[in-house]
Amino acid sequence: MLLAKLALGFCGTIVLAGTYTFHEGILRVDEDRRDGRHVHVWVPAAIVPMALHVIPRHRLERATVKARPWLPMFHALAKELEKYPEAELVEVRDGTQHVLIRTHNGKLLIDVTEPDAKVRLVCPLVTMEDVSEQLAKNASGL
Amino acid sequence: MIPRTRLSVENAGVVLASAVLITLGCANLIPTLAAQASLAPGASGQMAASSSSHDRWLHVRVTNPNSSEESVRVNVPLELAERILPTINQHRLHSGKVSFDEADCHGVDIRALLDAVRTSKDGEFVTVQNKDSDVRVAKRNGYLLVHVFEKSHPKKSQVEVKVPMKVVDALLSAGKDELDLVAGLRALSVQGDTELVSVKDEENSVRVWLDSKNGSD
Repeated sequence: MLLAKLALGFCGTIVLAGTYTFHEGILRVDEDRRDGRHVHVWVPAAIVPMALHVIPRHRLERATVKARPWLPMFHALAKELEKYPEAELVEVRDGTQHVLIRTHNGKLLIDVTEPDAKVRLVCPLVTMEDVSEQLAKNASGL
Repeated sequence: MIPRTRLSVENAGVVLASAVLITLGCANLIPTLAAQASLAPGASGQMAASSSSHDRWLHVRVTNPNSSEESVRVNVPLELAERILPTINQHRLHSGKVSFDEADCHGVDIRALLDAVRTSKDGEFVTVQNKDSDVRVAKRNGYLLVHVFEKSHPKKSQVEVKVPMKVVDALLSAGKDELDLVAGLRALSVQGDTELVSVKDEENSVRVWLDSKNGSD
């Protein structure tokens, strides 16, 4: 009985941790090359803003200084895009090349198709807003 | 009897807490994973129209009449553009306004020109016809109309611009040598569905229009 309770508590904790970890969705980068190489990076989106805290400060500062003029725009864009969860924003076709930027289910999707590769980036809009907020905080401290 | 009751209550509490945790977990994880799985490359054509009726979208479409495989489509919610423009302070763009000087306009005082058009009655103001091109600038039914037709090859082209005068007013509401883009967008957002710019030449066709759809098809 005690063992069952412990197992239940353990499972509950796992579920709770999983729920928190994935509550913002998943940040995905998929690259499929024609030569057979595939790169798939799936990261729980909630981890990304946390990861900003562990990046070496001097590296983050350098990036923040470069990005500073565009941070307000990035933040406003992320915040505003959340109002448009289903929208096709940009599509460029040029022969065999195709770029599509859209929002779907509250995520920003960027699809790039080239003759020898397909790349897909999926980023939850909430994560973009969190990251921009975090970077803006860092920038204000510099 | 009492310990058994306490045990039952404890067990019920543990089961209830676990049930809540599992339900919460499923409620959060399953839609997330389902959403990830549903992101098929062809899903863009099945997008639900989520925009409400008051949303106004600016659409730009560039196509090549000779090739169906070359195109650019841009769809921007006007509200998004209104919010983002003031955050960009680069070069001549600052706080949603763009500054210009006489040198940019080859000595033509754009502001005075637009002001003159704004205050005058409907009619055709400029008509230039020569062997290379026809140019017409007119004001009609609250719109500023510009028509340019290039006759000479290889630049044979036709340009039509139709701007609501209220938008022109809003653009001019900024200080001297400035155009208030945000005010212009705000004025544009209360306009009905309008075709603003149309450019056609032998290589490209460009359309800029305003409506309430969140896609350009």
